[in-house]
Amino acid sequence: MVPELTVIWASPLGGYPRGRHVRYVMRDLDSASIEKHRAFIEIDRAQTLVIGAQLASGMKYVVDGMLDWHDIFRPFVESWRNVYLDGIIRYFDNNFFYRIPVFRGEPEPQRLVTPARVLAYRVLAEPAGLKVVIPGPLTMVKLGRNESELEDEELVMRVASALAMDVAGSARNGAALIQVDEPYLSDPDASKEDARLAVEALEVIRKSIGDARLSLAVYFDAPSPSVYEELLEAKADYLSLDLADAPGRALGLLEGKGCGGHSLVVGVINARHIYDDDYHTVKSMVEIVLKACPEITELGLTTTTWLDLIPLRFALRKTALLGAYAERLAAELGLEAEIPLTAVPKPYRV
Amino acid sequence: MSSYRVPRYFPTTVVGSYPKMPSAEDALRRRRKGEISEDEFREKIRDAIREVVADYLDAGIDIISDGEQSREDMVVYFAERLRGYAPGEWVRIFDNVYFRKPVIVGEVEWVEPMAVEDWEMAKEFSRGHPVKVILTGPYTMLEWSFDLHYRDRREAIVALAKAIRREVEEYIAKGADYVQIDEPALSTRPWREEAELAGEALEYIFRGLSAKRIVHICFGRIERILPYILDYPVDQFDLEFKNSNFRLLPYLKEYGFNKELGYGVVDVHSLQIETVEEIKEAIDKLMKLDIIGPEKVYVDPDCGLKRLPREVAREKLRNMVKAAKLARKEWGEE
Repeated sequence: MVPELTVIWASPLGGYPRGRHVRYVMRDLDSASIEKHRAFIEIDRAQTLVIGAQLASGMKYVVDGMLDWHDIFRPFVESWRNVYLDGIIRYFDNNFFYRIPVFRGEPEPQRLVTPARVLAYRVLAEPAGLKVVIPGPLTMVKLGRNESELEDEELVMRVASALAMDVAGSARNGAALIQVDEPYLSDPDASKEDARLAVEALEVIRKSIGDARLSLAVYFDAPSPSVYEELLEAKADYLSLDLADAPGRALGLLEGKGCGGHSLVVGVINARHIYDDDYHTVKSMVEIVLKACPEITELGLTTTTWLDLIPLRFALRKTALLGAYAERLAAELGLEAEIPLTAVPKPYRV
Repeated sequence: MSSYRVPRYFPTTVVGSYPKMPSAEDALRRRRKGEISEDEFREKIRDAIREVVADYLDAGIDIISDGEQSREDMVVYFAERLRGYAPGEWVRIFDNVYFRKPVIVGEVEWVEPMAVEDWEMAKEFSRGHPVKVILTGPYTMLEWSFDLHYRDRREAIVALAKAIRREVEEYIAKGADYVQIDEPALSTRPWREEAELAGEALEYIFRGLSAKRIVHICFGRIERILPYILDYPVDQFDLEFKNSNFRLLPYLKEYGFNKELGYGVVDVHSLQIETVEEIKEAIDKLMKLDIIGPEKVYVDPDCGLKRLPREVAREKLRNMVKAAKLARKEWGEE
């Protein structure tokens, strides 16, 4: 069957690592030896550079780098009432640790995390779209500790409601894409019921996205077949899957179950290793995807996870590879590469 | 061989690391800045190990360690001493804490003894107690490094296993009784193929060894890999239990566990000191399941104690020893 696919594009999955300068600034900030506004100026400068690097690499959606986030949960936990931070614990199978969110009641946002960032970086991101990444409610609860009186299922929905406030503000301020990260769904312990709950929670978030598009991202491994079946029910524009971490399992899922009418974003550049990913391996994975999902008209290429698990130099290199491979694949497979930077600029919309 | 008589039932031990003594902290900091010579560094580490061993003996631990006082990190320490590794760039561990994640850039080879001197120092102060050899395993070494050379995990792990085996031989030649290989990364990827890969490496490291062979695994989905690791060529599995609220116990029963067990009864992530009664209850909980006899149970903390304040670590060990003594008495060993 000849694929109907017309467009291929690239975007990093999530945050970037801190360079030396940002590490020092964060250290000074933690020890109160730099004024807050000066630290923010330095971080802002570094994030601007990260956006520039993504644009130069031809990304369709760019992120602000989230350089000031200690982990994906932290800014939200610190902004919500009734949620606290506890000790550190390993983040999936990485040699990276996050602070455990402890829920002692319903999370109540005291301030929003992402909308102001969108305001700050939306224009810098043009002509690409700015992507906002938020933790998935299920993953946040599963990796947190529930000391509230709410059942886990109820807590997941309350977390979704809290996150939806951020999403609404971000969409209003011009975010092009909202990505909800649910890596827990690739965990061997994740069940069909968990996936169903994640999909329900996503629906709460979806109601707040306005004109933005919505992506559900699962990574660190492939989800189990029963989890994947539930994910196909998600009302998201994109389903984002990690292919390169476990290609056999991930591609097997797509071959066996298709992609349920979703546009796919596939993690083909390994963000946990520093070597250059082999183009031909990437190409063969993409060809299998196209064969397994002939109905898709849009395919995004991404990294297997956030790029903050490798040093900055390699994160930038991987970003460049991502863009270059998307362009080369488009040329070799007869597809259109969507590279905002090289497109003819549209008239500016006021 | 050690002259101390290790109790037959419920001997107590440690997993390896102990809070850094001030002299070790100072030595590591000054060496980083190039302010002290290697001899001065060793002298300060020697002081630190003396203090660690004193704490262990004061608590009544039967089988001790050197407390890993000269190791800033369990992977970097060995990577810095193996041929084929280069210092990496900065990668975050948590918050704004970073380490230089090592990179494999060539054939990995053992060059010279890496941690033997620390072990010998501990032996010198141990008053005859056996000192466990504790080395980071090849699976964990690879998982927590970058690899630009092999690009094939099996090949890399086998090369690392050969280097570690060579290090183990140094200890055996000096009379080591207990050799423990730490594989904390294994439980984070609970797949059969991963367990088999690590098992193949252990086979290489432990082949024909006269000492007690131990593998330490912690914090992850141990229950998921358990069926795949029971045939490992080891005498003892040292596992974390307390932190995961002993959820692993029924699985030991289910899978017919029959090797020696390093039974983690002290939470190394909590400042709360487990009471003697609490630890004794944990021992009773295991024994009631009738999985293994008391001669196969080694009572120890879940993992290394390095993240705890020294006072807390010492108090936890004291209570652990008291609980083991109570259990021993109950089982007829005075």
